[in-house]
Amino acid sequence: MKNVRSVPSIPHAEYFPQPPRANPLARGLSILVNDARELLNFWPVLQNMVVLDLRIRYHRSVLGFLWTLINPILMMCTLTAVFSQFQPGSWKQYAIFLFAGQVPWGLFAGILNECSQSIIGNEGLIRKIYLPKLIFPLARVFTNLTTCVFSLVALYLVVWLLGPQFTPAMILLPVAIALFAIFGLGLGLILAVMNTFFRDTTHVVGVVLQAWYFATPILYDVRNMSPRAQALCWYNPAFPFIRIFQQIIRDGQWPDLTLFLAAAGIATVSLGIGYVTFKHNEDKLVFRL
Amino acid sequence: MSPSSTTKTSSSSVSDRKVIFDHPTVSSSETLVELQDVSLRFVTYHDKQYSLKRSALDLILKREVPPVSNEFWALSNVSLKMKKGERIGFFGFNGAGKSTLLRLLARIYKPTMGRLMVKGSVAPLIEMGAGFNPELSGFDNILLNGAMLGIKPRDMRKKVEGIYEFTGLREFADLPLKYYSSGMYARLAFAIATEVEPEILLIDEALGAGDIIFADRARDRLNQLLSKSNLVVVVSHDLYSLLNMCTRGIWMHEGKVRADAPISEAITRYMEFTQAIDAKNAAAAAIKDMANKV
Repeated sequence: MKNVRSVPSIPHAEYFPQPPRANPLARGLSILVNDARELLNFWPVLQNMVVLDLRIRYHRSVLGFLWTLINPILMMCTLTAVFSQFQPGSWKQYAIFLFAGQVPWGLFAGILNECSQSIIGNEGLIRKIYLPKLIFPLARVFTNLTTCVFSLVALYLVVWLLGPQFTPAMILLPVAIALFAIFGLGLGLILAVMNTFFRDTTHVVGVVLQAWYFATPILYDVRNMSPRAQALCWYNPAFPFIRIFQQIIRDGQWPDLTLFLAAAGIATVSLGIGYVTFKHNEDKLVFRL
Repeated sequence: MSPSSTTKTSSSSVSDRKVIFDHPTVSSSETLVELQDVSLRFVTYHDKQYSLKRSALDLILKREVPPVSNEFWALSNVSLKMKKGERIGFFGFNGAGKSTLLRLLARIYKPTMGRLMVKGSVAPLIEMGAGFNPELSGFDNILLNGAMLGIKPRDMRKKVEGIYEFTGLREFADLPLKYYSSGMYARLAFAIATEVEPEILLIDEALGAGDIIFADRARDRLNQLLSKSNLVVVVSHDLYSLLNMCTRGIWMHEGKVRADAPISEAITRYMEFTQAIDAKNAAAAAIKDMANKV
């Protein structure tokens, strides 16, 4: 029973708000360090939230967690059946292509949708107990990451029958997933704040995501497009991410370095802006619930 | 806001007794909590959803930004030092800012102005069972709630037995919380909240805790907890309990500290004030009565 007192036994003085520092860099750094420490302290809560969220999601349904696997498979079948009619080439190739774009998009859309609800949805907690607010969007991201990895594996087993080969480039898949999730988290943080201040955001998010989905080459192949349309694609920040997945899974190639750098850059900028927005408004959120 | 309704019962019980103050005087040592000029502003918006449409229109038409309908200072310029070993009781009228102050210490609110320093782990017995998930079993909720209070699941598992022991809810451990009766729910919440071994203990009698805290078994448990904590802060309308429990009394009035003294002295001053108000009200009523008769 030596470890019963799990709370830090050395009293650590905490200040609210943080003592002002003249140097903005030092201030930013101290905020970051503070957040890292808090998240570390509350890591079990985050873990719990993710596990429980996953459990509740399929609670009492007969097939339970299998739905994470069945759902995307059924979805893919439908999409393949419909859209392969309009595509050149065999339906098998199209199915693989679709799979490469559809699964990561599912992750991205899931993150944005759920992050935007994360603060409002936890109103009961936020008003009653102290938790670092970052936990709520982060938990949603991890939940979506888990389901994404599961459906990726499951779908891969199905698609494997259709013929793509395992390639060494696939070791980059986790990196690609992480980058896309970070991009999603950044936007999600902004949406979480916006949605708390303007409840209309929820409705806008749904529509915009749908439009964005069609504007991104997921159902159709960029390579079949006119050069002008291809150039336009680069204005779509989600494009490099999807393209990386398509190159890895469908073409079995190492993704272009340019794509990777672009994706990494976009993810970093998104997370940076999201984090600053979130921290800036964090303390006002309680009063807006 | 009518203060008399809430204070009358307790005030009579105190005035009946001679005030005995026999707490050991605690040597003033380390400061665990310090509030420097802390103010907290609440803004209530007419419709909480300050809509996108309106803010866009505001922007385009260059209208004044939100017509803030309601703002008030729940706390204004509160400066306090709370030291190790103190048992502090907060009292005052409804809406005086006592509970707000407690929530501030629990870090739910952040000061609008001023600075707050907290040293050590804080256990809030403010809203118990705040993190409960009705879909989950009792056992899972114990782990989850423990985690929110800063206890690792590993350590919490060791405490589960003790919690079942106290609540007598062992046989319901696997039942989703939504099937619990409200009494069971409250017992479980209380048991978890008091399993922590805090350095700073915050108790709000007015919120949630209510009847459970004053059931006998709960009281024993609470007393144990009180003796273990370095600093206890209690908010209550029950002046008699405060007198027994606390060493220092703070009377809050309209967001300000009106008196900060040894508990008996602070309560005495508060009661003089309420009696004066009661007398004034009585006089006003009498005058009105006479005016009506004439």
